[in-house]
Amino acid sequence: MALSCLTRALRGLSLSQTPLLSSQVQNTFWMQLFVFKSCFFGIYNNLDVIAYFSQTLAKVRPDITVQLPLPALSHSTHLQLCRGFITTASLDQNRRFWKQREKYTIRPIGMRKTGGRDHTGKVRTHGIGGGHKQRYRWVDFQRLRFEAGKEDQAFEEKVVEVRYDPCRSADIALVAGGNRKRWLIATENMQVGDLIKTSGVIGRMAVSANEGDSYPLGALPVGTLVNNLELRPGSGSVFIRAAGTSGVLLRKVNGTAIVQLPSKQQVQVAETCMVTVGRVSNVDHNKRIIGKAGRNRWLGIRPSSGLWQRKGGWAGRKIKPLPPMKSYVNLPSISAT
Amino acid sequence: MITESTQRLRSAVPLLSQATLLNDLRLFGVHPQRHLNVSSRQAGKANHRPPPRNKVEIPGLETVTYADRMHYVPGLSKPVFPRWEMGHKDPRFYRSPPHQDMPLYKEKPCFVFHQRTSILEGVRQALWLTKTKLTAGLPPQLLSLAESPANQIADQDERVQNAINHARFWETTEMEPPKENYCSTLLHNLLQLCSSLQASQPALGKRMLAEKYSLTASWSRGEDVFQVKGQNGLLLSSATPLPPLADRQEVEETENHVLETFYPVSPTIDLQTTHLYSPTHTSTGFRSDYPYPHAHTLYFLEGVDRCCRLRPPQLRAKMIMFCFANALARAQTLAPQGVLEQPVCVQAVGTDGQTFQFVFFQLNTTELHHHHGVKNQVWLEEDVPLYDSARLRPLMRRKQVMVPAGLVGYKPGTFRKFLSLYLHGAQ
Repeated sequence: MALSCLTRALRGLSLSQTPLLSSQVQNTFWMQLFVFKSCFFGIYNNLDVIAYFSQTLAKVRPDITVQLPLPALSHSTHLQLCRGFITTASLDQNRRFWKQREKYTIRPIGMRKTGGRDHTGKVRTHGIGGGHKQRYRWVDFQRLRFEAGKEDQAFEEKVVEVRYDPCRSADIALVAGGNRKRWLIATENMQVGDLIKTSGVIGRMAVSANEGDSYPLGALPVGTLVNNLELRPGSGSVFIRAAGTSGVLLRKVNGTAIVQLPSKQQVQVAETCMVTVGRVSNVDHNKRIIGKAGRNRWLGIRPSSGLWQRKGGWAGRKIKPLPPMKSYVNLPSISAT
Repeated sequence: MITESTQRLRSAVPLLSQATLLNDLRLFGVHPQRHLNVSSRQAGKANHRPPPRNKVEIPGLETVTYADRMHYVPGLSKPVFPRWEMGHKDPRFYRSPPHQDMPLYKEKPCFVFHQRTSILEGVRQALWLTKTKLTAGLPPQLLSLAESPANQIADQDERVQNAINHARFWETTEMEPPKENYCSTLLHNLLQLCSSLQASQPALGKRMLAEKYSLTASWSRGEDVFQVKGQNGLLLSSATPLPPLADRQEVEETENHVLETFYPVSPTIDLQTTHLYSPTHTSTGFRSDYPYPHAHTLYFLEGVDRCCRLRPPQLRAKMIMFCFANALARAQTLAPQGVLEQPVCVQAVGTDGQTFQFVFFQLNTTELHHHHGVKNQVWLEEDVPLYDSARLRPLMRRKQVMVPAGLVGYKPGTFRKFLSLYLHGAQ
């Protein structure tokens, strides 16, 4: 850190070098030394520096007449200000580039804590900070991802491992099929050695699906418990991924399917949207006992603000009608509007 | 900060008027909102870069560039110059051609097994790849070698325990030596103990240990091309070949054996794919006039490479694969095109410093393309502990000694197996 600060300070100095007259050359070394020192202690305004410098130098060496480049002050191009160097830790970690890899990997990816800050360093989400170190396992949410050269064929995969994931409430499962391995969200009764099937075909008859299998909504019978719901065909699952949740396939209407989410809201999606049958794993997630304030800190959750606020309309019982069904079918494209 | 700097400036230059000063300050970007003197990241502003514009090339149209002006001109496009060739070779600035232009490039990928490969299905996958029939346990004719009194080392058990104690306790003044140290020390101690039998068995003198030799063997199974490449463990090579364990009749009986498959996982899972390979490349890692051309035993140390930790099934698979590769490379130098007359045998010992794995591999056929026909054979003895625990301090639970300190639970049978593999082929 100190080394990087030093190099940055030196780089800033080279930027802020001003063309000096020959009479000023003898002072240049003193001045640069001083500028460097003051920069290091956090004073990074050149005007401050020059003013200070003239005063102190007059005390130390009265024989040297300080000629400040003050006439140049009116020309902003002549004297450039020092680019401030960053005194805080680099904000690179708050960027999300580490997720944007070209090739899928099952290896855990190292993450760095953001503390709820975004890439500009401002607090984006309150109540995040600290906690145990975690690594990200890249879950493949697009269940119907065919292997190269085997498009449009239903395929099976074998569960190799079911394990805890620090980055989500549900468990994840490592599955292997063909020439590849990938992480999926585990369903409730998934065990090592199980075969799970993925098919993109909507037949005339509804299939009798086992838990963990994945089908388009149109291929499943009405009333099936589903999870990992896609909103648009092929976009990857977005809804019903948290631990112990499941949705219900309510009905199928000419090319669309209506699914009840865990929040009892109903969404209408195209019937080609892929969905996994069953309930998401880690059902007892809501029954775990945190026990003490420190365990929440282990999880990276900070205490909420202690500021007293009067209870308003948000407190108390509310009776309100269900929101209307939300439709994700036939949305107008961006280019048409 | 602005007020401070203003005061200092004013004290330094009393003649300067206040209005000019404020103007100058604004010019220099000390304005509270503008943040001209710091980067956008420090000022807390998002730097929204537009996405790169895709260049459209219209055939027949010539773009007007500022190449002849030799400086940037707004409105004219940026010239694109050909890459400058310096005219001589400099390895610092070498740029490799794309893979497609390299001479070794093939359309069909090759599946490579190397020393850091950890295959998912373990031994089953290695058996499929090498077309091999597995027999659990080492045959008694091999194990009986160490039982005969002529092949006993004097004070054998005591010296083996000393070897373990040396590796685990006496080698270092630290609390406990790390695994990568005691693993290789133990192996070398045991090998040195075995070689002390050279007085009674003069054929043991015709052995040579080789470290860090690299090996290449290529073969094809069905549609796919496979290679075993890379450096593997310590190789004990000998001047005479190992005698086969299975006779001709047993070899012919392996025709009926059906290889195990593991649907839905493909047998090529976890192998590295490459398009740059030579399909017939085979090398034993030694010159043709090497006086000890026959690979005798491979010794694998597990836990030495910190970047690659293999679980026991994966270690056994690696031992089988490298035994097979050594045998195949030797067979292809013996009979480049024809049929193998004598089976080629290679042994392997794998250890993590406590448990041992023993493999005897017999290459019966080099015809690996089809699934039918004669299979190769492997004898595998897995997870044999040499001792139960070796702790510097006892393990205490509720003031009770659960595991005492020192070497506990020494198993003399394990070293006898190790010795019999070493003595095999010396009579």
